Amino acid sequence: MIVGGQSLVTSPPVFSHDGKKLLVCTGCTVSVFSTTTGMLITELEGHTERVTSIVVVPVAGTVGTKFSDYCWTASLDGMIFYWDFSTPDLLKKVNVQLPVHSFVIPNILSASLGRSDKASQNLYAFISVEDANKGVENGKHLHGSIQIYDLTNSTRAGGVLAETHKPETLAISKSGEFVGIKKQKQLNIWRVPNKNLKSVNMKKLKLHHTRTLSCLAFHPTKCIVAAGDVSGRILIWRGFGKMRHSQDGGGKMKIDMGDRPGVRGEDDADSCSTWHWHSSEIKFLMFSSDEAYLFSGAKEGVIVVWQLDTGNKTYKPNIGSPLMYFTDSPDPSLSCVSCEDNQIHLLRMPSMDIIKSISGIKPPLILSELQGDRSRVTIGCDRSIGFVALPTKDYRIQFFSLLDGTDISHLQVIERNYDPVDETTVFISLVEVSDDGSMMSTVEEKLPEMGIGGLISLKFWIRGSHTGQYTLSTIIYEPHNNAGVSDMAFCPGRSMAVSTSYCGNFKVWVNNSSFIHSGDDIQEKGGWRCQSVSSYKEIPMTAAAFSGDGSVLAVAAETKITLWDPLNNVLVAIIGDSLGPIRQLAFVGSSEYIMSFSSGTKADLVVWNISNLSTHWSYKLLVEDICCTRSETRVAVLALLSSSDKSISTGKDGMVLVFDVENPIPVSTWFVKKAKGGRLSFINNKLGEATDGKLLLAYINGEHNYVLFDPSNVKEQEDLIPKSARRPQSYAHDENVSHGYASIYGELPSFDLTKARSSDSIPFVSSERPWETIFSGSSHALPPLSKLCSPFLESLLEKAEKQTVLSQ
Amino acid sequence: MYLQSPLPLGNCGTRLCFPYEELDVSDLNDWTPRPWLALQNPSEAVTRPPALSTEYTTKTKRSEAMMADEATRRVFPTEPASHLRPRSRSVKSLVSTPESSFWRTFRSSTLHPSYLHLPITSLSFSPNSSLLAAASSTSVRVFSSLSLSEYDPTLFATLPLPDLAYSPSFRCDGALIAAGCENGAVRVFDLPNDKPPKTLRRLNAHSCASRVVGFPLLDHKLRLFSAGDDALFVQWDLPTETPLFSVPGAHRDYIRAGAPSPVSPDVFVTGSYDHTVKIWDARVNSGTSSVLSINHGHPVESVLFLPSGGLVATAGGNTIKIWDVIAGGKPVYSVETHNKTVTALTLAKVRDDTRLLSVSIDGYLKSFDFSRFKITHSMRYPAPLLSVAFSPTGTIRVVGTNNGAMYMGIKKKKDEFEDQVGSDDFAWSVPLPEKPTSRKNIRYFKRGQSEKPSEGDFIIKRPEKVKLKEHDRLLRKFLHKDALVSVLKTQQTTSIMAVLEELVARRKLIKCISNLDNDELKLLLSFISKKATQPWCARFFMDLAKWVLEIRAEDIRSGGPEMAVHVRNLRSMVAHEIQVQRSLQEIQGMISPLLVIAGK
Repeated sequence: MIVGGQSLVTSPPVFSHDGKKLLVCTGCTVSVFSTTTGMLITELEGHTERVTSIVVVPVAGTVGTKFSDYCWTASLDGMIFYWDFSTPDLLKKVNVQLPVHSFVIPNILSASLGRSDKASQNLYAFISVEDANKGVENGKHLHGSIQIYDLTNSTRAGGVLAETHKPETLAISKSGEFVGIKKQKQLNIWRVPNKNLKSVNMKKLKLHHTRTLSCLAFHPTKCIVAAGDVSGRILIWRGFGKMRHSQDGGGKMKIDMGDRPGVRGEDDADSCSTWHWHSSEIKFLMFSSDEAYLFSGAKEGVIVVWQLDTGNKTYKPNIGSPLMYFTDSPDPSLSCVSCEDNQIHLLRMPSMDIIKSISGIKPPLILSELQGDRSRVTIGCDRSIGFVALPTKDYRIQFFSLLDGTDISHLQVIERNYDPVDETTVFISLVEVSDDGSMMSTVEEKLPEMGIGGLISLKFWIRGSHTGQYTLSTIIYEPHNNAGVSDMAFCPGRSMAVSTSYCGNFKVWVNNSSFIHSGDDIQEKGGWRCQSVSSYKEIPMTAAAFSGDGSVLAVAAETKITLWDPLNNVLVAIIGDSLGPIRQLAFVGSSEYIMSFSSGTKADLVVWNISNLSTHWSYKLLVEDICCTRSETRVAVLALLSSSDKSISTGKDGMVLVFDVENPIPVSTWFVKKAKGGRLSFINNKLGEATDGKLLLAYINGEHNYVLFDPSNVKEQEDLIPKSARRPQSYAHDENVSHGYASIYGELPSFDLTKARSSDSIPFVSSERPWETIFSGSSHALPPLSKLCSPFLESLLEKAEKQTVLSQ
Repeated sequence: MYLQSPLPLGNCGTRLCFPYEELDVSDLNDWTPRPWLALQNPSEAVTRPPALSTEYTTKTKRSEAMMADEATRRVFPTEPASHLRPRSRSVKSLVSTPESSFWRTFRSSTLHPSYLHLPITSLSFSPNSSLLAAASSTSVRVFSSLSLSEYDPTLFATLPLPDLAYSPSFRCDGALIAAGCENGAVRVFDLPNDKPPKTLRRLNAHSCASRVVGFPLLDHKLRLFSAGDDALFVQWDLPTETPLFSVPGAHRDYIRAGAPSPVSPDVFVTGSYDHTVKIWDARVNSGTSSVLSINHGHPVESVLFLPSGGLVATAGGNTIKIWDVIAGGKPVYSVETHNKTVTALTLAKVRDDTRLLSVSIDGYLKSFDFSRFKITHSMRYPAPLLSVAFSPTGTIRVVGTNNGAMYMGIKKKKDEFEDQVGSDDFAWSVPLPEKPTSRKNIRYFKRGQSEKPSEGDFIIKRPEKVKLKEHDRLLRKFLHKDALVSVLKTQQTTSIMAVLEELVARRKLIKCISNLDNDELKLLLSFISKKATQPWCARFFMDLAKWVLEIRAEDIRSGGPEMAVHVRNLRSMVAHEIQVQRSLQEIQGMISPLLVIAGK
């Protein structure tokens, strides 16, 4: 079972202490990526809910375990885990019991440094938890609260620091001196005392603003805090907290009201200045490590670099997607920015060039202004290689390999520049890939302005030499006049395609092009032409499918299925009425059955028999997608559960059913989450790891998380998208870039241990006497030193015993 | 023996009057339209000197004999051989070598140190200042501040000498000057700046004219050597006026040439009319025998150590020979480019190289590159040349003629490499094989541009610059209305359609239409009324027309007759189209039953 497609940008990523690894929250796991290669090294598995925040211990492990990196992770399952993420080993579990949305550890540096001399120093964390049971209090829904937690003793230290409407993200200054949150129109800042961390002696400082704040950042050394609001303004408070924090126990000092430009009310700050460039909500603020600049980003996809003293700004122009987070690394020349399109770009710092991009599967296209069936943006699926073609917001198609979980390539379909701020007027509405992946067609729609314009064009693409490389073959403007294309289907084994439209006709397209080899490039002459146009009683055509041998074309005319001979354009037969307009058709393998489903109020799933033109069996079921194998008689159906079903409460709103087409009783059933907008597809198992030659069923849910599994092996009651699953890591080896000593004198041989440790596929032999077999096997897969040490010592003991035996 | 050679001495004191005497060399330079005249005129002038020379009373018997000889001979520059003549204007481009362009940077001027037109027998530059000493008749004149700005260089001093002066020579620091004299005494003068020069020492040893006087080139300030017609070679100790090293009868004839070695203060070379060149070393006191003796083959007029000190250049007759002294006087090279006797040699600094300059009675100055043994440049002067000097700074070139004129070339400040061809009219040189172009040259930067790719080369094409149409540029600047207007003016339907579609995609079309002024609205209306019913874009234009009429109804109503015409056209177009559609429907109605029947 292969699971993937998690969003990389749910939470800010964190760099390891040496800046060579990037820890990214991916669903229930934490993925560790190499910053030099951008590849996945390892994953930390253990949480059962989404991981929300990570804190990396800023120094490496001390005695003996020199190559260990430690981090704390918090998740919505109410657990905080302590990891050695180089191995990776789970070292400690702390149960907070409430879903943790954010946490920071202010004294992590002093605690981790001072561990050797002063063992009893406790590690405290500020946690932002969600307390859903709190309910209404004084007419306010205060779900979030900020608390202090003693991680060393696993106890809550003191009471609640603050209560918020929803759980807020905590921000911490680099030195750990200040911790702050935004709370609607104000900032709450606490100064963390060096000793005796208790909530009672924490003083809260409030800074007010007139608009709702969206993010905040502390200056690394000075008393400066920056906050962004929803209107795109950036506020810089300088010299905050001088009065409040300076006199801890004393009475309230008189605040000098004069000469504090920009500061509201009795806020405790020297001055407050406002910068405004962004037009929408500020997503992140970050002070540069040299303390001279402030980075800000918002929906425009532009990182603005503000000079802190003057307010002058420079721009890193368009990254091409709305920005989410900006993280700087301990290495001053490296930082990363997370984008909304599920990409993390690693930036070389002063110049802000993109060195590497870690890109996940693109999020689904959401087109709010489109309605109903027409707006269904489909995903193409290549069955042979196992990649999906996903239309993205920036007018491209992303080819994503489901088996490897990697981004293969991008194809610019519409020749426009994407600007995240603009409203969507052009989009890719349909992507269809032929079964063998050699042909692809896309339909793009231009929305009319006040009824003027509006253009639908159909593009045919032909695969190039590489996977995911397609070249444009033919553009057909307005394939069905101004009516939208409802479905496309490719004829297996032939250069033939059919497009159906809502205007009541369908067209059969053939490609009888000849290729002219002129030099290096192949010029195509001809291209796709319309072979025939047909219609059935002017009824809107909604779906089309070719039979497995390509001899029969089935086109759905709302509730009826018309069967055609595609070559001669002759209507062969009509199969009678389903309940509602048919959304999709599928021939079941080479059998005589055809499957259809309709949606809407009269949703049903019907299996028709072609030979006697009658219904074989049917269900009244709201179906989202169906998928048939080409050779076998199995069909997979993704059905949405109606709201009355009880399993909705657990978040599972859909199920995947596998039928044998002869039998209306499902072979197996799985309940799934977020089934709306999901896709099913059978994919050839090229890895052949689970079962040889058998097909894998791919399920992509509405958020583009996916799972690949063998339907005959996985048990029914198991959840799809399980809590922990591994991706194959054939490429995970870290590319060591030599620095300092190593760059001059070369690699020390002992450093190979880290390499070996980073790959987790080392077979450990756990026999009674491990020292006998420990060095047998390939030399590159040596076990780490920590694992070697105890067996070695044991072996010494063994020798001594033997000797004693001999002497006896 | 000496009668065989046309001696410059014979011209001493001859009054020559050239028809182009007043003609400046710089005029000659500009004298481009008649190139042959410059060469022919001197030969015409040659006929006159014999008549004049009869009036002249010579001082010595020998010189009288010379005069008689000269009366029958043409001493004047002869025409160069036909293959040496500059051919035509167009050939000049071949002549343009780096060397010739270097010499072309010298601007020429003429000097007349005395108005007696007496031959200038010797020229010498001060090693460290810009003083120039010229020996002519009975005086040695020292000029200073030789520059182009002053046409006539100021006369710095005139050395008082009792008789004909020979061979002025500066000491290495330029403070003293020595000169020989017809009566044999060598005088040493100082050159104070404000006072007239004073005779410091008088060295009496020569019984005849002391023709060769020289200070050592090296920093040896108290020594001097001299040689003369009495074949005596002496090295002097200046303070005591006593000869340190004296060789009586060093040669078997007049000593007319001599030079110090550039590497040793005690080594000298002398050349004599007995065809031999002898090397002397003052440290070897072996009586009268020289260190080395070389037979030049002609009476030696000038002799010179080349900068290395190992090579000696000798000039005699019309040949210049180079000898390797270290190898025991091995002849290295012999040049025979002058048509007449070579009278003087000097070294010149050309850019970073050193050239050997030679002047001859035939009026040519030739530059000889002794590292490659090639004549690199040649200049012609309108008079027989007797002496040459090149300033140590490399900026001034002086040649002395037998008529008292000194031709001076002063280098312009800038070394114009790409000076236009032909600024110096009598400059021509043997074209050199083309050198690799230097970085200063424009050709350096253009090199290889016309190179054609060979078979199997991988060609990387420069990305073609995208040329944007004006409406594209305006769209890029978000000037939507301007883009629409500019594309409407082009009248190209496809581009107009493309722009309109782009405006729709940007949600700006309605705004554009409402912002159009009346003239622009007319443009749009006329376009719509023409194209509205074309089938491929009719759907778009019918919608557009509807909107235009709706939004701008008032403007159209008040827009005058022109607007009304467009609207009327539109209406008639639409009416016509409806007519067409109707008749098409009729035809379809007629055909479809036939098709149904045919289908069955």
